[in-house]
Amino acid sequence: MIEVQGLTKLYGEFVAVNELSFSVQPGEVMGLVGPNGAGKTTTLRCLAGIIPPTRGAIRICGSDLAQDPIPAKKQFAFLTDEPRLFDYLTVWQHLNFVARIYQVANYEPIASSLLAELELADKRDKLPGELSRGMKQKLAIACGLLHSPKVIYFDEPLTGLDPFGIRRMKDSILKRARGGAAIIISSHLLHLVEEICSHILILKNGRKVINGTLAEITQKFSQQPGDANLEEIFFRATSEPPAPPPIVADATKT
Amino acid sequence: MISALFYLQFHSVKNRLTIRLKRLKQPKYLLGAIVGGLYFYFYFFRFLFARSARPGHWNAARPMTDALPPDPIFYESLGALILFVIVFLAWFFPRKRAALAFTEAEVAFLFPAPVGRRGLIHFKLLRAQLGILFTVLIFTLLSGRFGAGGHWLTRAAGWWVILFALNLHFIGSSFALTMLMDHGISTWKRRVAVIGLALAALGVVGAWAVREFPELKTANLANLDSMIGYLKQVLVSGPLPYLLYPFRLVVKPYLAPDGLAFLGALWPALLLMATHYWWVIRSDVAFEEASVEASQKMAEKIAAVRAGKMGAAGKKLKSKRPPFALHPGGAPFVALFWKNLISAGTAFTTRTWVILAMVALVMGFSLLNSPGASTWPAVMGMMSGIFAIWALLLGPQIMRQDFRQDLPQADLLKLYPLRGWQIALGEILAPAVILTGVQWLLLILATTCGVPLSRGEFSAGLVLAIGASAAVVLPALNLISLIIPNAAVLLFPSWFQTGKDAPHGIEATGQRLIFALGQFLAFIVALIPAAGVWAGFFFFVKYLAGVVLAVPVASVAAALVLALEAGLGVMLLGWLFGRLDLSAEQLA
Repeated sequence: MIEVQGLTKLYGEFVAVNELSFSVQPGEVMGLVGPNGAGKTTTLRCLAGIIPPTRGAIRICGSDLAQDPIPAKKQFAFLTDEPRLFDYLTVWQHLNFVARIYQVANYEPIASSLLAELELADKRDKLPGELSRGMKQKLAIACGLLHSPKVIYFDEPLTGLDPFGIRRMKDSILKRARGGAAIIISSHLLHLVEEICSHILILKNGRKVINGTLAEITQKFSQQPGDANLEEIFFRATSEPPAPPPIVADATKT
Repeated sequence: MISALFYLQFHSVKNRLTIRLKRLKQPKYLLGAIVGGLYFYFYFFRFLFARSARPGHWNAARPMTDALPPDPIFYESLGALILFVIVFLAWFFPRKRAALAFTEAEVAFLFPAPVGRRGLIHFKLLRAQLGILFTVLIFTLLSGRFGAGGHWLTRAAGWWVILFALNLHFIGSSFALTMLMDHGISTWKRRVAVIGLALAALGVVGAWAVREFPELKTANLANLDSMIGYLKQVLVSGPLPYLLYPFRLVVKPYLAPDGLAFLGALWPALLLMATHYWWVIRSDVAFEEASVEASQKMAEKIAAVRAGKMGAAGKKLKSKRPPFALHPGGAPFVALFWKNLISAGTAFTTRTWVILAMVALVMGFSLLNSPGASTWPAVMGMMSGIFAIWALLLGPQIMRQDFRQDLPQADLLKLYPLRGWQIALGEILAPAVILTGVQWLLLILATTCGVPLSRGEFSAGLVLAIGASAAVVLPALNLISLIIPNAAVLLFPSWFQTGKDAPHGIEATGQRLIFALGQFLAFIVALIPAAGVWAGFFFFVKYLAGVVLAVPVASVAAALVLALEAGLGVMLLGWLFGRLDLSAEQLA
């Protein structure tokens, strides 16, 4: 569903992404993790067609993103941590607009269902300025999912959501993966990635450190089964110094 | 404490200047700064310093009194009246508690710090001086540019007195209003009292004017000169100069004819300001909580402006009904057109219509006695024609619901499954349609008013032909006039950045001048082919069938050429958008 071959992005002499290759099949949820500046957001923006790669090929559902972008773009949605909305369109008008862009026939029941799922049903006539940050995030998600994309990119999907929203977001991601979507999640929240991702790709300095299922990368980086969680594996894979032990109050002193 | 505040202000200004100077290494800022600097020098600064020595020269040095009528009390009273109106509004309109505007950083650092209430007020007054001094510079340049006499130093000092006095009064009045609220006096009660006082003063002046001057005759108000004459009499005699005395004290330094008179006028103004300062410092009103809230709102506005969301930075947006129902089937680019029409609807507020109506009224009155426009139909016809031309030339700069508005959302546009030309067409259609609609209405009005007045060579047929021809040509002309600035935005997106990296001040002025000139030249060049076709068809058909037929035929031919150019322009915009590399421009 998502095939990336030799993706490279240069900013002058700075290499943001270097010869990155991977694939994500329908039903898979790939966690894209890495330290700050590893190239995660640059990778996602290249996959979304927002910025052109310097080299490499990206195919979405069989369509080359560079050569045949229109069919490719019809298949995916890109949901960022910062909701991108039009200040002068109401919630419902956003969905109406997206339905026309993506030619979603009979969009009203889908839109109503999404709004109900995301607890925005009573905000149909509100402008983004009248919504809280979490609600804006939910609206952006509703707009992204309206055309039932087969490929979804999430960049820090839980930012701004309350605990209920977080639970619903996780359930929604898993539901769509079970429905056959190929999903990439970029996040620093390793426990989230560990919980819902079937595959992990660790980036560092624009290069792939490892790509595989959680079991595969655990096997590679742990000395014995079960001795490390994803956080520990991440530190080992990216060769960061181990985190300092937590400070525990001395119970003998009063 | 004061030294810490001076430190903060001094280093903030110094670092800001340093950043702007370092930015001049980039050509876009350097070029803008050079052009802007030259513009400001030739249009403003040289009038400040380089007065001509020749007595008869229009820019010759002359004392302030040369610019004034013999009776200085008239201008003192006029200035005082303006200040009175400003102060009246400051006491009438506010509804909220006193809030001193601090930035979020200042709130975070100063409010928890061991800085007393007086320290915060001193900080606010100190910081306000930067804005006041900048405004003094602008006003001094403007007043010098447009003929005010006197030395520029006394003019600048005079402006400083006026602006700082107003600043102090606004703070004092906001504290006083808050105190009234705390004592249970509602906003409406206060407004009634303020209006009552103003009406009482007006009543005193009115009663005196009715007793002292002959009955007002309609002839006295027939033209502007007699109205001004009557106003002059009221302003220089009777109770009004006395009622306005405190305001006259503030205005007097600015109008002082020489340095000595300035010093003589300065000390009473300073005394008045000292009184205001004492009033502000002694007011026992809590402003901290309201200031925190105000700082949050200011931070949100600044963030919105930096994100390019100018509408969100202003007054609260209201949802608008869509102009038509947008069905999910059909050409996708229509969704962008629909979206931008909704956005344009938010620009047409009641205030916009009121301002347009006032401009039309003032223009109508001033045209009423001009040659060829002695009746209201003639005036309306002339005004409609003028507004239609303004809409063509200035409309694209005002209607910006296209790439210029959506550039900060370029990454969102890049996600859509649309070809570049589809996005381009969808983006520029809304302003083009709106401008064309407005121009057609104006043309109908101009033609309707013009037909009954037609005579001689300008027959009714010719007037109708001109109107119809303009209507045919305008849609494509509007598209071209919109394509040019949008192409500029896509070619040089970093020149149109908002936010911290956006140009300010002189660089911004210079860049705007460069683009205005470039766009004007591009527009002229774009018209050349159509103008040539028009001329060719016009003279050919005129020779065969006369002017009345030649005009529309030539216009149809020219419109086809313009439409072809517009089509190519849309394809060009689409190509430019497709190659727009957001990573290089760091726009998203």
